[in-house]
Amino acid sequence: MGRKERLLVIGGSAAGPSAAARAKRVNPDLEVTMFEQGRFISYGS
Amino acid sequence: MQDIDVLTEHRVTKIDAKAKKIEVANLSTSETKWFPYDKLILATGARSRRLNLSGSHASNIFTLKDLQDGIRIRNYVDEKRPKRVSVLGGGFIGLEMCEAFRRRGLETYLFCRRDLPAGNLEREISERILKELEENGVQFLAFQEPVAFNLNGKNEVSSIETRKGNFPTDMVLMAVGVIPNVELAIETGIEIGKTGAIKTDFTQRTNVADIFTAGDCCEVFNLVSQDWVHTPLGDIANKQGRVAGENAAGGRATFHGVVGSAAFQVFELEVAFTGLGIEVAKRYGFDVDSQVIEAESKVGYMPGSKRILIKLIFDRRSGRLLGAQMVGKEGVARRINSLAVAIHQKMVLDEIARLDFAYAPPFSAPLDPILIAAEQAVKKIKG
Repeated sequence: MGRKERLLVIGGSAAGPSAAARAKRVNPDLEVTMFEQGRFISYGS
Repeated sequence: MQDIDVLTEHRVTKIDAKAKKIEVANLSTSETKWFPYDKLILATGARSRRLNLSGSHASNIFTLKDLQDGIRIRNYVDEKRPKRVSVLGGGFIGLEMCEAFRRRGLETYLFCRRDLPAGNLEREISERILKELEENGVQFLAFQEPVAFNLNGKNEVSSIETRKGNFPTDMVLMAVGVIPNVELAIETGIEIGKTGAIKTDFTQRTNVADIFTAGDCCEVFNLVSQDWVHTPLGDIANKQGRVAGENAAGGRATFHGVVGSAAFQVFELEVAFTGLGIEVAKRYGFDVDSQVIEAESKVGYMPGSKRILIKLIFDRRSGRLLGAQMVGKEGVARRINSLAVAIHQKMVLDEIARLDFAYAPPFSAPLDPILIAAEQAVKKIKG
């Protein structure tokens, strides 16, 4: 079969991690990558 | 554990929506790399607005948006031992930071372009906030807008210039609002709304196929004004993120919108609000009236009972509650949520006044302050 579906998330504060986690839960086969320009994630929610 | 790759210190520099790939710069190595996607979520957030004045790039001017900013401010206070701090802006961040600076023993000056702090709230609420600031040693400077920062030889602000005078300072916090990060979206041809934030729909999609958005970078629907607005708050970001994530994974979730509820604390005071204020409600064509009451947060003889002030904003024609704002030292932040429900449900004051709330002396009076306020508002409409 074909490759896995890829989801990219730009931003790792509040919305980004929520989106990434939810997507992975809905479809565990999804390849999820989250990009954050700062040093920390989940820093300002 | 969750099997999500997280790349920190990586900045996305370009989106190629046709080829469905993004260019990412590794900030520690300066290498760039393209990553292909099937679905993309823009959660680029917002950044602190900075006043663009002479001296604005001094080393002792701070903004506060994320953890790193907070660490920077704390380190500066620890290392440089500033005696006097100037906070620019009387919004949530400015007010919360006044408290934080006072706790660290700094002489704290709050510069405001209006006559009262928290200028988006109703006057009665802002007046209480001002009193609380003054009781806690914050110097409030009304109608004082900086026009320049005077620097010493070390690229540090030594004083703030306004039209009315010159104010010496050892450090500055700019808390004058946020700007949504929409540059990547614009370059990609993603539509921006009239608020300047990314336009979205109830499924968190953008106008570009397979690109979703969530959080402080995008708009949200206000259920009272029935309009798309920019309300950059962490709880909304979380909820929108869940919807964007679910839909990007093939689900069918919707985010219906907000009524505009929020709360914050400044020193001992709790401040909470939901729905529209008078000015905004008028702009949307409602026949606006309001009612202010004061009542005890618990039965008066209970220890810890405090006076709270409630202002209800309502539509005279329909009797519908449009907004509520509350301030007091106890029992405010949680109490507002009952009224958030009422606004969600488009309840009229008559119904609210008859609600069956839980009563016991440690929690409220037999007639909860909300019921008293609603009853007074009903009387005002009937005349």
